[in-house]
Order: sequence, then C-alpha cells, then structure tokens
Amino acid sequence: MNRSVSLIVNGRLEELEIPTHWTLVQLLREGLHLRGTEEGCGEGSCGSCTVLVDGELTRACLFLAVRADGHEVTTVEGLAHDGELSPVQRAFVERGAVQCGFCTPGMVVTVTALLHETDDPTDEEIREFLSGNFCRCGGYPLILAAVKQAARVRRGTAR
Amino acid sequence: MSHLRQFEYVEARSVDEALCALASFEDARLVGGGTVVVPTMKLRLIQPDALVSLRGVEDLSAVEPDGERIRIGAMVTHHRLARSDLVRSRVPMLAAACGRVASPTIRRMGTLGGNVCYGESASDPAPVLLALGAEMTVRGPTGERTISAHDFYVGYYETALERGEILTSVAVPSMSANAKWRYWKWSPRAHEDKPLVGLAVCLEMQEGSCRTARLAVGGVEQTPVLLEAAASALEGKDLTPEVVREAVDAAMSAIDPMEDFQASAAYRREMVGVWVRRVLTGLAWEAA
Repeated sequence: MNRSVSLIVNGRLEELEIPTHWTLVQLLREGLHLRGTEEGCGEGSCGSCTVLVDGELTRACLFLAVRADGHEVTTVEGLAHDGELSPVQRAFVERGAVQCGFCTPGMVVTVTALLHETDDPTDEEIREFLSGNFCRCGGYPLILAAVKQAARVRRGTAR
Repeated sequence: MSHLRQFEYVEARSVDEALCALASFEDARLVGGGTVVVPTMKLRLIQPDALVSLRGVEDLSAVEPDGERIRIGAMVTHHRLARSDLVRSRVPMLAAACGRVASPTIRRMGTLGGNVCYGESASDPAPVLLALGAEMTVRGPTGERTISAHDFYVGYYETALERGEILTSVAVPSMSANAKWRYWKWSPRAHEDKPLVGLAVCLEMQEGSCRTARLAVGGVEQTPVLLEAAASALEGKDLTPEVVREAVDAAMSAIDPMEDFQASAAYRREMVGVWVRRVLTGLAWEAA
C-alpha cells in the first residue's frame, strides 16, 4: 500500500510516493537520501533519529511517515545556512563534542530545540533535556560544554 | 529493531469516523502519538491490519475546567499537561508526573490517552489518576460510558476498554489548594526509564493532623494500585514518626508486588516501604 505525500524538508518542497508502513526515518534516509538522521534503537529510546516536525521535537523512528504529509520537517542537514554551521553545530565541532558521531545529529537537533525554548539553560536543565539522547561513547562532559558554549554564542555573550 | 509490516492507515476526522474505522477492520488499532503502538508493532507483539489515527480529531485535544474537575482530551500530550497553567494550578501532582514521563521528546509525542490505554502499571500518570479519583470517558458503538480509574486498570497491560471502544477524555478532580502532595519516581537504572516505584501521595492537612490521605503506586503490582491501608493509618492522625511507621507497615503488607527482570518482589516491597516513609516524612516537615 503506497501513498503520495508532500512535505517541506529543510525548506524544500518534496513530493514522493511512500509505503504507508514507513516511518519518517525511512522516508528521510531511503526516500530522500538524507542520511544525517540516524536510526539507532528504532523504538524511541536512544534519540539518534530526533528531528523537528513543525518545530516540535520528534522521534523519526516512531513517527509514521504518512503523518508528515502537509507538514514541515527539519533535519540536521537543515541547520546550516549558506554553508555556515549553526551556533550549535559550531560549538560541537569546536568543543570536540563528537566521538564516533552516531548520536551527534540527534544531539544537535535536540539542543537546537532546547536553546529555542531556553536561551540560558542550567546544567541540570541541559542534562534533563538530553536524558533521551544516548551517547554510547560516554562523551557527555564535552557535549555539556558545547551546549553551554552554543547558548553563550546565541545570547551574543561569547568572546 | 525490524521495520513495520504493512497495514492500512486511516486518518479519522471525528470520534464517529474512528469508531466506524475500528469496526470495519478485523484488528484495527488506534494510534495517538505512536510511542507505544509503533515499537510494539516493530517487536511483532501486535500485528494490526489497520492503524486508525486520532491526530486529526480536534475534540480530543482540549484541556478545560469541568466544574470541580479538569477534563483532559485523550490526545493531549504529556508535555502539554506538564506545562499547562490550568493543570499546574488545579492538579499539580498530575503535571509533575507527566513531566517525568520518559524523555522530553517522548513527552512531546506521547498522549495521556495512549498512556492510560496501554494499561501499564509502570506509568507515571497512572498512580496520580488513581490517587485523585480520576474518571475515564469512553465511547463505543452503543454510546458513552464512564469508568473510574480504579476500575479501568484490570490486569497486566489490560484495561476495562472493550474492543471497538475509544477513550475520549480523562476527568481529574481538582486538588485542594492546601494539599500536601508528592509524585515520587524511583527508576534506579536511568532518569528516563519507567518507574520501578511511582508513588503518588496527596494529603489534606488540618492543624498538623492529616484529614484525608490518598496514596497510590505504579510499577509494583501488575496494575497501578491504591494504598488504602496506608491511607487509613494516616487519616485523623498527626504525622508523627510512629504514625508514618504504621503507614509504611500497612503499605508493605498490603501490596502483592510482581517479580520480573528488573527486580524481585521483595525488593519492590522494600522500596515501597522506603519511599512511602521518605515521602511522608518530607510532607510532615512541610506541613509542620
């Protein structure tokens, strides 16, 4: 059973025909060849497939692709503008908050949503917000440092 | 994790449409946020031939006062309940429990209705709904009925919902403004895990003495349960260490904990004792 859907992905209108049993991560990776969104556990626990649907944090492995019809999806590929990394991406690079990199797209998207809600989160708030994003390398201290740096940059208080 | 197998997808626009869709397939399931149905299908625990989506049904997404109660549409997310000013002021214990469900992203996807219909004991909102005496409204092919939270949870992942019925809303009585309450989640493995013990306590105090007490716990027995014996041990008494001890003993001897890969029955019983004691002691200090 197939269905045609049209949605905006990273600001671009996409129209495609997909099986009704696809999840959004399949639509992104297999349908649109956007391989930044990773599928880890496939059951909503690990956070590596996190994307934004209409600006709201969403686990793409749990979200039925047909539900994206008529909606706007932002993936990690949509965060940079004109080749310029977003403050969150730049902070992850500069702080070396990336080890194997598998969790990074989900982390970066989740942190982007966090800083959109709270421009100066406490360590506790950052930890709580990232409690559903697993880094199996255990690189949490550098991720925390990157989030704090990104927050400072966004507030315009970084040197 | 394997991918989903084929199914028909129906986007209902009204409860009636959803009821019709449910009746027209052999094994159709409702999908709210998808945080339970999708992984359960991937695990091949259920193989529905159709998913009926309630996302387009607008009357299921309201949170509004209904006399002395707050009525919550089945499709309202945990995140919305945790942030809602109305819920935070009238039923703060429910807001607190919803704010502890899984992780921030899952809270933004998963709905209270889905949580309740999953029939899981280790649910954060479930013991709160029991302790506050919530009531579920259900619609089926033959009309509407209401079920108390107490009667709704009937067994291990089993609810009183009949096949073909839809939970439309949950009505929660407002807490008294001077209630002393706590939702305490004990999840020893990880912050975003399900509760091994999810304890809801709501006490109405008058001049240092406990007028009414409601205690309930999730994750311990096969269903979330009220701790009625513990409540009786507290009512009409000052919250002295002796009275707290009596309530702890009553809670520990009344429960029949389950045993699974996470913990033995004895450990669950012990943890119920520990957290009932600590929560009551904390509330007694607050009330003093």
